[in-house]
Amino acid sequence: MTTTFVEEKPTQNLEPFKGVKKVPYEEYFTSGHRTCEGCESAQIMRLMAKAAGPRTIVLGATGCMYVANTSYYSTVWGVPWMHTQLGAGGSSALGTAAALRVLMRKGVLKDEPINVIAFCGDGGGADMGLSAISATMTHPDYNLLILLYDNEEYGNTDIQISGTSPYGVNTSFSTPGKVKRIMHHRWKKNVAPLILAGHPTCKYVGTISTSYPLQAMNNIRKALSIGGPTFIHCLNPCPKGWDFDPYIAFELGELAVNTGIWPLYEVENGKLKLHGKTEQIANGRFKRLPVRDYLLKQGRFAHFTEEDIAFFQSKVDEMWEKWLVPGVIPLQKDLEG
Amino acid sequence: MGKLFAVEIIYRGVFQKTLAKNITRGIVLAARDEGKFGLSFGRYGDSPERNGIPAKSFAIVADDELTLEAGMAQYEPKQVDLTVVLDDTLCKGAESWAWYGLQPVHHALKPGSTLVVVSLQDAPALLKTIHRREEPYKLGVLKGVTSFSGMWVYKDDHTDVRVLGAIAKALPEVVSLKAVEQFITEKLKNALKVTSAKTAYDRFKPMDVKPGEGNPEETFKFEFPGWTNMRQGVSIKGQPQGGPYRDPVSLEVGGFRPARNELFKKYSTRTERPVVNFATCTKCTLCWLNCPDASFDVTPDKTYDANLEACCGCGVCEAVCPVENCITMVNESQFTDNKSQWVAYREDKDAYLKWLEKTIKSAEPVEKRSYGFRYRGQYKEQAEEALEIAQRG
Repeated sequence: MTTTFVEEKPTQNLEPFKGVKKVPYEEYFTSGHRTCEGCESAQIMRLMAKAAGPRTIVLGATGCMYVANTSYYSTVWGVPWMHTQLGAGGSSALGTAAALRVLMRKGVLKDEPINVIAFCGDGGGADMGLSAISATMTHPDYNLLILLYDNEEYGNTDIQISGTSPYGVNTSFSTPGKVKRIMHHRWKKNVAPLILAGHPTCKYVGTISTSYPLQAMNNIRKALSIGGPTFIHCLNPCPKGWDFDPYIAFELGELAVNTGIWPLYEVENGKLKLHGKTEQIANGRFKRLPVRDYLLKQGRFAHFTEEDIAFFQSKVDEMWEKWLVPGVIPLQKDLEG
Repeated sequence: MGKLFAVEIIYRGVFQKTLAKNITRGIVLAARDEGKFGLSFGRYGDSPERNGIPAKSFAIVADDELTLEAGMAQYEPKQVDLTVVLDDTLCKGAESWAWYGLQPVHHALKPGSTLVVVSLQDAPALLKTIHRREEPYKLGVLKGVTSFSGMWVYKDDHTDVRVLGAIAKALPEVVSLKAVEQFITEKLKNALKVTSAKTAYDRFKPMDVKPGEGNPEETFKFEFPGWTNMRQGVSIKGQPQGGPYRDPVSLEVGGFRPARNELFKKYSTRTERPVVNFATCTKCTLCWLNCPDASFDVTPDKTYDANLEACCGCGVCEAVCPVENCITMVNESQFTDNKSQWVAYREDKDAYLKWLEKTIKSAEPVEKRSYGFRYRGQYKEQAEEALEIAQRG
């Protein structure tokens, strides 16, 4: 028998919630934060804390979910939480998990499985903190989850472009001009596949949406139960930066999935599983809604012409028609062979 | 030193950010046409600015540059010569900075000065929510639909120039009607807007508010922690876990009410609130599960009661509720307290259901507002309607 020198520790075995009525009442991220009306990023914090339960430590990189939730000598966290620097989501999770192990080995803390979750926004996770997350994902020994909550912009500093901002979007850095209409012409970074393809050590990668709360919580519970370094990417409609009536926050999350822009899937030990409508789209059982249904409900795309909408649609079509793994892996199939 | 005037605009964060900026900018540019010096600047009730949070924008105007500089040295004007409230639901108070607790909207207003409120209601109705004060002041209503838009797309419904018209009437020392008209003609280049400003000027007739008149309620206050009772390092107390609570009628204990942040309650960040028909509720959990603010208490009989210290009025609960008319968002101006709806329902079902129907119906005339962008072309339609209402007065 070979020795791998990997020292794995058991995790909490978190069974999935079997239906919305089985979701516990306890809140570990409660009311009284200073987020916007209809803030879906706050909602994923709440769901994440609910899913993980009381034996959890949360680390938070700078962003809305740091500033708005711990303002002015008060907090809404019901589990231990610590702020960490913008780029330090990955390293703080790794360091905390390692420290817990040492303290338990030395008998300072009771030896028990404790969830370690670091969350970061798209600025902290997809831009600045990407290298630290990447390094963390290569460590097989520690049980931790990185949750990237993605509102596709730097929301806390009044809406600048991030690596996950969609094509053509209006932000403080890309105000549409009279001569040049589209001031942001990069395509959204595809973060979850970046993590899963580049880090074979990572045992679980998933995408979730706050508009599918039960699935989101169960995926978080699964990631925490599987252990090792795990990663989840969540799309959160942002009423402030996306410029929409907070009333439609939930609907926009659904539309992102139903138009095929935001595929929901998980990859557990290398095995891909598509979820819900995404699975139906992939198997031809649900016809993708046109992206215009999603784009025209948001003020950030109000400058889009028919041509821009058509281009956006063609890029989404490409995801589903040409990619090797539709909606997930952007390698293109060799259509000739 | 010459005279320094300050105008304060209280507005809803993000929703009215551009509108407030346009007004303070207009004041300064119009005053400049008359040889005065001015500066406009924003300061948020909480930084960074979030949707719906009460926020403030200021314009200071002086006779000479030195006086203006003296005014600029202040972080914000301590006393103002005129306050404009751009959304009438803010009359319940604004938290001008996170540590202050709620303050009445006339908090900084000099005695005898004018408070301008954009509203479809009349002044006596607004006085039910505006807090009492010891000094007299004037209250003037600029009849109009509350103008809400968003970060990128602006709803051009003439609210900005109409407010400028009202300011010219209430505080001619800062801007005269002539200066406002000149500013609109030269900078905004819109003849119809000149008419809108002039009409608002002509119609604006503030009433005198006597000392002690208004809402007798105390504004929400809490104990500020001083540096001597702060913890070592930078650690703060986490939230405890909530628990079940008592049904006031059956005395049965059950359900769940989470512990909540004692230092921040959402009373003034809300423009509308959910009212719940507990009789048709199917207990599906969706409003509770999808509330970003965890504002629903699970009642002992397993329905969901929006706790109004935590609800910020986003409307997601109404959007996800599968039962027709079970949850309805109603304009905040219809309410004078933050009591539990479920307790009222438990105590007298029939009376509650009657109240529910009446409240939703009586809110209809003031429900013409919207809360941001939902589809293209929406603002154009709404601006036309808003202009018609403004013309009728």
